[in-house]
Amino acid sequence: MEILDKKRRVFVLGGGISKFAAEREDGSMRDWINEAVLEALEDSGTKVQDIEHSTTSYFSDHFDKQLKAGAIFHDNIGMCPKPNVRVEGGGGTGGLAIRNAYAYIMSGLCDSMVVFGSENMGRQVPSDVAQQFIALASDTDWEVQVAGFYIAYYAIMMVTHMEQYGTKEEQFAMVSVKNHRNAMYNPKSHYPMDITIDDVLKSKMITYPYKKLDCSLLSDGAASLIFATEDWAKKNCSTWEKKPTIELTGTGCGTDFMRMADRPHPYPGVTHFRGKRTAAEQAYPMAGIKNPLEDFDCFEVHDAYSGAELVSYEDLGFCKEGESGKLMEKGVFNVGGELPTNTSGGLMGFGHPVGATGVAQGVEVLRQLRQEADPGRQVELNSKRGGMDSHGGTGTFCALNIFERRD
Amino acid sequence: MGLELISNLMNVFTAEDPMPFEHPDGDPWADFREGMRIEWKMDFTYKHVLGKYSKFFIELTNHKFLATECPGCGKVWAVPRPLCADCLTITKWKELPGTGTLHSFSVSEFVPSFMKVEVPYVLALVKMDGADTLFTHQLRNYGDSTDAVKTGMSVKVAYATEPVAHPMLLMHFEPV
Repeated sequence: MEILDKKRRVFVLGGGISKFAAEREDGSMRDWINEAVLEALEDSGTKVQDIEHSTTSYFSDHFDKQLKAGAIFHDNIGMCPKPNVRVEGGGGTGGLAIRNAYAYIMSGLCDSMVVFGSENMGRQVPSDVAQQFIALASDTDWEVQVAGFYIAYYAIMMVTHMEQYGTKEEQFAMVSVKNHRNAMYNPKSHYPMDITIDDVLKSKMITYPYKKLDCSLLSDGAASLIFATEDWAKKNCSTWEKKPTIELTGTGCGTDFMRMADRPHPYPGVTHFRGKRTAAEQAYPMAGIKNPLEDFDCFEVHDAYSGAELVSYEDLGFCKEGESGKLMEKGVFNVGGELPTNTSGGLMGFGHPVGATGVAQGVEVLRQLRQEADPGRQVELNSKRGGMDSHGGTGTFCALNIFERRD
Repeated sequence: MGLELISNLMNVFTAEDPMPFEHPDGDPWADFREGMRIEWKMDFTYKHVLGKYSKFFIELTNHKFLATECPGCGKVWAVPRPLCADCLTITKWKELPGTGTLHSFSVSEFVPSFMKVEVPYVLALVKMDGADTLFTHQLRNYGDSTDAVKTGMSVKVAYATEPVAHPMLLMHFEPV
């Protein structure tokens, strides 16, 4: 990898979120994207007429029954006849869409990009049909028939982690407590809750060791981010140098075999997210991250399940393999700790409209670095860097992006 | 006749502003809050072709468990694939004994209803004898309690004796 024009840089001008909820019966994806983009335009002080390119971020065609939905989003927000491209990678879609903005701007194809992501997570069909749609994201010939539900695979990952490192249910229950509590200070969140470790441990067991309160949500909603070069921002962004300057400084992406059964041993085995380590190895040098625990002020993690957040800490380099549980016990990842994670509430508290999730977590990092977040979840700034990661499948697609405040 | 003209109408309703806290001056979309829910039915049957690995399923009916072996690097893929992902050589079929060791498993108290199975449902990842990668399938007939299921235990492929709804269900695992 080589950055051809070291003077060319990508800035994050603003973001917007259309509320995450179990069911948004006030419209569909096209409506929520309008709301999120309008908020991002206002937040950034930019006009859609001046933005040159858009990126569509959504995962499933099945829930909204609309193929090529990006065409609708792009035309609804007034972007025609300007260019658009869609990005998709399961749960990794949002993070990949942010990475896409970096790539298009750095290549010179455009100086400005609006990313919009949304998902309708299927309350319009019976819950087991929704499960069946999501199951189609695992191998439909080899996995859906024997376990067409993701929690069965994630549970295997956690069981092996518990056996190998002694990770305890109480430790990942703490992740659930943290994320649901952080969501209480995020007015756009789906499932804010003040719960205890005991509440999590006593919630209904679905697949050992994961109980209902260990699981992420199915949410409706949308999110948007606007990126541009400095020159474009100076001409077109009325908040430039009025709001804190936030730069997209690093991006990385990794993948792994679709089927856990095919992955090599001992690493990642059926325990770790190899794609996250790959993504971090790319993004961290770009952004000057040497010791993630010290060098990030906040990090949004893809908590598909509470335990998956702990394992992600290890693959993202926050600690050594097996140590995440102990660090969680010490409060390292709570607001006020060394590296607050999922201050937005994450997928468990904020919500998970798949195509919107990663983009929304990027908006959270933006808010944190600008110190615009609700005081109940605002972090202290030291290094002025924040990161986010998104993953799809059981680590099939992993994307990681880093923002840094420059003033 | 009014709304009765819509045969697939479920109901009309008024949606609320989901973000009133963002709109102190009033709901900007106030004009567009009337909602209509309709029934939209879709019914699909695919004529799905299983890939170049269809022979795996055919041989399950002959009570044989096949894997694919790479003539280039020697790797044996337990879930068959016609192209070795490590060295991109076209693979060859290899019959395995069908025995293996339980590498890991999960126990589900709930499964989606499209899976016609009983709970608790045990999903097993098995290190097959003669293969380098794992194979994923249900573990059955482990006795009265899932406490009997332990990683490292010996398991074997068991074959269907009754018609199944999908070729993947022609086999499952059982303890040896």
